[in-house]
Amino acid sequence: MVDAAPAIFVALEQSGFSAAVRQSAWIYPAANIGHILALAVFAGAVAIMDMGLMADARTSDFAARFVRARAFAIAAFLALIITGFMLFAAEASHLAINPVFQVKLLLIAAALANAVLYEVFARRTVAKLPLGAAVPVRVKIAGVLSLSIWICVAACGRSIAYF
Amino acid sequence: MNKTAAAFAVCTFLTGAAMAHHGWGSYDAANPVTVAGAIVTSKFENPHATVTVQQADKTWTIILAPTSRMNSRGASAKVVAIGNNISAYGYPSTVVKEEMRAERITVDGKIYEMR
Repeated sequence: MVDAAPAIFVALEQSGFSAAVRQSAWIYPAANIGHILALAVFAGAVAIMDMGLMADARTSDFAARFVRARAFAIAAFLALIITGFMLFAAEASHLAINPVFQVKLLLIAAALANAVLYEVFARRTVAKLPLGAAVPVRVKIAGVLSLSIWICVAACGRSIAYF
Repeated sequence: MNKTAAAFAVCTFLTGAAMAHHGWGSYDAANPVTVAGAIVTSKFENPHATVTVQQADKTWTIILAPTSRMNSRGASAKVVAIGNNISAYGYPSTVVKEEMRAERITVDGKIYEMR
């Protein structure tokens, strides 16, 4: 299996950092628990934002709530990246060629692209909509896409161990 | 709310489609094997300790348990050290040849449960 992975991932797995993650009694479990806790915060923040996007009409607290949730989402995402990298590094050569892991990375890229597109092209316009105005369909689609993709990311994450 | 339901439906469909092909779990519980021999290599590491054992012309990789569980069950690094004779009962991988997931191991006449 190890031979099949690109050299960079084999090198990462054989690094001192990865060995420390594997050989410590607590680093790997701590990263695992941290990843799940960060996921819980992230999922909650994303759900608050996406449910707002899916609403039929612009509500009074929409923009402020979105920005507040976004701060939590960004902080939780950073924690997910850090803990996720530790879990990945420990088994890099296997995970890099795991099909579910590859799908998960693609889905994360897709969800981030969706979020960036919304941030650049839509967020300020939506925030300026008058109270009670109908939310444009494409904004609802962005919300549905975001929530769907992130749920799939979580499902992939849990499924990696079974493939 | 309809859109939330739609989001969940899309996800469930995609996940279901992905899993249908491979099935759940890649160790064959219907055909357990017992591998016995001297431990050739031993990694007492997370997420799972692993040892390799030479049996006849095959080199089996035996997946054990997380190190914290190994220790709490008494199967410390000393128990699964290189050179010790081990007998492992478990399920062969359906993906990787000569790899098995141990349900329990016996070292020096003592049985250690891995699950």
